[in-house]
Amino acid sequence: MITDYAGISPRGDLLLLQRLGERLAGKSFLHVNSTRLGGGVAEILQRMVPILRELGIEARWEILEGDQKFFDITKKIHNALQGDQVEISPEMWEYHYEVNKKNAERLDLDADAVLIHDPQPVPLVLFRKRGRWIWRCHIDLSNPAAGVARFLKRYCRQYDAAIFSVAKFVMPMAIDQFIIQPSIDPLSEKNRDVRKEEIEETTGRLGIPQDRPIILQVSRYDRFKDPIGVIKAYRMVKKYNDCILVLAGSPATDDPEGEVVLKAVTDFAADDPDIHVLMLPPNSDRDINVLQRVATVILQKSLKEGFGLTVSEGMWKGKPVVGGAAGGIPVQIVNGTNGFLVHSVEGAAFRIRQLLNNPEMAQEMGRRGQDHVRTNFLMTRQIRDYLSVWYSLERKGKGKGKGVFLEP
Amino acid sequence: MERAAKWFEFKECVIVPKSTGKKAKNLKELRTLLGRVSDESIAHHTYQYFLSGRVLEYTNAFALWAGESLGEKGLSEHLSNIDPYSFSKIEALRHELLKAIDSRLSVLPRPRDAMAGDEFFFSESLTLTFPVRIRARNLAEFLMAVRYVDRSCIYYHFYEARRRLGGGADDFSKWFSASLGQEALAEKIGSIDPFMHTLDGIREHIAVAVEDEVRKAMEELSS
Repeated sequence: MITDYAGISPRGDLLLLQRLGERLAGKSFLHVNSTRLGGGVAEILQRMVPILRELGIEARWEILEGDQKFFDITKKIHNALQGDQVEISPEMWEYHYEVNKKNAERLDLDADAVLIHDPQPVPLVLFRKRGRWIWRCHIDLSNPAAGVARFLKRYCRQYDAAIFSVAKFVMPMAIDQFIIQPSIDPLSEKNRDVRKEEIEETTGRLGIPQDRPIILQVSRYDRFKDPIGVIKAYRMVKKYNDCILVLAGSPATDDPEGEVVLKAVTDFAADDPDIHVLMLPPNSDRDINVLQRVATVILQKSLKEGFGLTVSEGMWKGKPVVGGAAGGIPVQIVNGTNGFLVHSVEGAAFRIRQLLNNPEMAQEMGRRGQDHVRTNFLMTRQIRDYLSVWYSLERKGKGKGKGVFLEP
Repeated sequence: MERAAKWFEFKECVIVPKSTGKKAKNLKELRTLLGRVSDESIAHHTYQYFLSGRVLEYTNAFALWAGESLGEKGLSEHLSNIDPYSFSKIEALRHELLKAIDSRLSVLPRPRDAMAGDEFFFSESLTLTFPVRIRARNLAEFLMAVRYVDRSCIYYHFYEARRRLGGGADDFSKWFSASLGQEALAEKIGSIDPFMHTLDGIREHIAVAVEDEVRKAMEELSS
């Protein structure tokens, strides 16, 4: 399986994975999160666990179980950590703990390394048996509700280390805190190469013409993704360049605002036949893949963003990306090199026009973007970094200096 | 003089950033924290910056932040002009960076704040170094390898070596000179300005120079 990435991922990443695998072979590595399906974490774990096993590591993936009440509470905790001023009562924290305690009795937490994903299973650390415990936070903690962050830190401090996606998401704590960016899987349905027939079938079925340049934004119908701003930018562009706008999203069961925003978007699009507002079923990965491949310019005009991996997905298909300077988007777009960072509707419109009028520049930016993703945002790099952190924790206090040299 | 290895063994390093938890929102805070952070943090934002591939505009993370997030273009140019390899100790580099910032602060009593989320985040790094199972015995083998190794290989032997070996030396020049007796080639590679090229640009310069030598050697053989 790891050999499938040869010629796609940087050779050094694959070699280091092998080297680290040799050193960690036979050891156990447990991942715990709260869902096996849906969301970026589950998507990556589905691919990562078999690769870790192939490297000789006894990797396991366990799911935290909880009832509706538990997940209502953890959704509130999630929102509070992302900045919503939500109160979490002592009873709610108590229930959060109790559900984790029950899971600790059910799950086998005995492992050499345990990676706990996100806040739902964070109290499991209180039931640790042995090994290195690492908390992997996938969400933006740069501006959390203070009381919620303070409470959460009681658990986090019990870990050996924490991992965040971007430096600005880090919550100051007296444990080692590493920065590991998320990644895309180049071999997944969403990112693999597609055949010409697949492109024809998908665009035909979705009713997307290919006779003019296509501007695409793939995102949930969420006001922070600014779909109305995207339509405004398209209308500014349309005065100068004939083009098509495609907005593609899927329903999110945990987002009650989704339908309201979708209605606002369809109302605002009115009867413009060149605006295609698509509500795709969940798991429409191949459709998304095709849309990104037929797009001329990809937009991610977010006002607020977690990491925004749709940017890397677009770049991987060799497309120039215009993105809002929010969350992890500036980490992916090097402004003016592999895309453009914008701060307004006008800025987005101007950059789209620039790209539509300079196809050579657009092509070159797309090429650089693909190269940037290859070096920095492929899944093999993320696994490499996880193993590097684990290995460095194993070696803590051993050897001279801070660096690690891996002899053959 | 210590005899250098006969083979050239390509190595590579990868860096996993590690947060220090410290952040600066303006120049005054940057100055204060720059005076206190660890040597590893200074090294991460200066020497290891060359691995980021953004060297043509700024040559260290402090210059990038001053230029892009604070709009301090003059200071940014000043900071970019500081050559970290001209200092044998991080303390001296730290002093030079502080001097540039102090000079700007002396005429800027109330420095502006960066936008929220765009502060300067001080990091350190976890660095892992490993051989990439590619060795060269002669220039022809070296040429083949240098064209295809990862960029972080070029970084390790061209940039990281400068800090490791001192005196502006890099691993490539050292091997050309000490193992192959190719003094002119060593000098040519040694004279590539590390601040004026991307890693791919450095690779290209090295490959062209080595290819010239290989061609010359072939012509001598065939004549």
